[in-house]
Amino acid sequence: MPPERRSFGARRVVLMVVAAVAAVSIGLVGFSVGRLSTINNPTPSNTSAEAGFARDMQVHHLQGVELAMIIRDRTDDAPTRLLGYDIATTQAQQAGQLYGWLVEWDLRQAGPEPEMTWMTRPGRSDEAHGHTDGAHTPGERMPGLATDEQIAELSAADGVEAERIFLTLMIAHHQGAVDMAVAVEDRASNTSILSFAQAVIVSQKSEIDLMESMLADRQP
Amino acid sequence: MTPTPPASPSGSSGNLTVKQQRAAQRAVKLEEYHRQQKRSSRNRRIGLIVGITAAVAVIGLLVTSIVLTPKTASYSAGGDGAEIEGVETFENTSNHVETAVNYPQTPPAGGEHNPMWLNCGVYTEPVPNENAVHSLEHGAIWVTYDPSISDAELSTLKAALPSSYVILSPFEDLPSPIVLSGWNTQLQVDAADDPRVVEYLEEYWKSNDVPEPGASCTGALDAPGKA
Repeated sequence: MPPERRSFGARRVVLMVVAAVAAVSIGLVGFSVGRLSTINNPTPSNTSAEAGFARDMQVHHLQGVELAMIIRDRTDDAPTRLLGYDIATTQAQQAGQLYGWLVEWDLRQAGPEPEMTWMTRPGRSDEAHGHTDGAHTPGERMPGLATDEQIAELSAADGVEAERIFLTLMIAHHQGAVDMAVAVEDRASNTSILSFAQAVIVSQKSEIDLMESMLADRQP
Repeated sequence: MTPTPPASPSGSSGNLTVKQQRAAQRAVKLEEYHRQQKRSSRNRRIGLIVGITAAVAVIGLLVTSIVLTPKTASYSAGGDGAEIEGVETFENTSNHVETAVNYPQTPPAGGEHNPMWLNCGVYTEPVPNENAVHSLEHGAIWVTYDPSISDAELSTLKAALPSSYVILSPFEDLPSPIVLSGWNTQLQVDAADDPRVVEYLEEYWKSNDVPEPGASCTGALDAPGKA
């Protein structure tokens, strides 16, 4: 007697079990592939270079906004005011991107460790050369940041004198931002941060060239 | 039914007896049955191996995907909506007024305020409430201390604070030696090294829940006593 005649009901149960197992397997495979697809772009952790950069570069950029807004009040020179407008709007927008990424990563704006700690850790290129120290000395100021005294000096000056102070401060400020962007490229793997850092490096380097020529034109 | 020879007639079949023919037929049937049995047992074995391999592969993939991918962030302190002992919350309005305001909280933790926000930073003198409250609306934390606290205590407090989006100022007649205020939130502590200071900053500093997150804390009013 053929078995299918003997147990038609059992055969149906077997089919249902096979279908259920297949459905669960497909679900598990889908879940796993979904998880694995994030491997090259993981959500940054609270002490990652990405998170540290996103926090510290906001501080850096927002001081850039502050300096750029001051010079717009301190001079009537159209090219300098336009440069200030460009820097203020760009850096405010970029600071907002960094703020938003931290929110998206479910991280707080306040880090669990002091500012710039991420950059004191060795990067991939340091490790490749057997170095254990990072690109930043613990406790030192953020690179390129103007001091309160320098900001007061800029705020008190006007005309071409204010322009010279502004350009000098902003060249150093941009150089510091480029250093931080280069450091994060050597430490991060998140694609949003990497493309942000690359954009900062390219655009601020070219603005440094522009500001150096503007500063040369304004020498007494 | 007349049995027919199962295979094409060979030269010798004509010579076989009926008995012999039946025996030969039986032998062929038996052989066929054995072949079928062998085939089905092989199929079952293949099925079993494929099934086990697939199960192992799926489980392996699942385990790999969980082991290799990072865990989501977790916090010892702070976190979204974290409960920090002693934090009070309020409901305040946020209109602009040019007059003095009588605030329900001391120090003020939100409410009507001056159009000019107070620039963030360290102040050695009391600052105008109406301007400081505007900075809270932008996500700053206003850290106030009783003028009677020691210099060492003030240094400890300063060391715990972020470099931006913080106003530090003395404040007369505080309900406790140190009070941290954000928009609609407040924490009173007795000492600067209270671990809740850091927890409070982690939860509320530059919060996304203030009326104007991301708005500036520079470029407006420098009150007297800004260090």
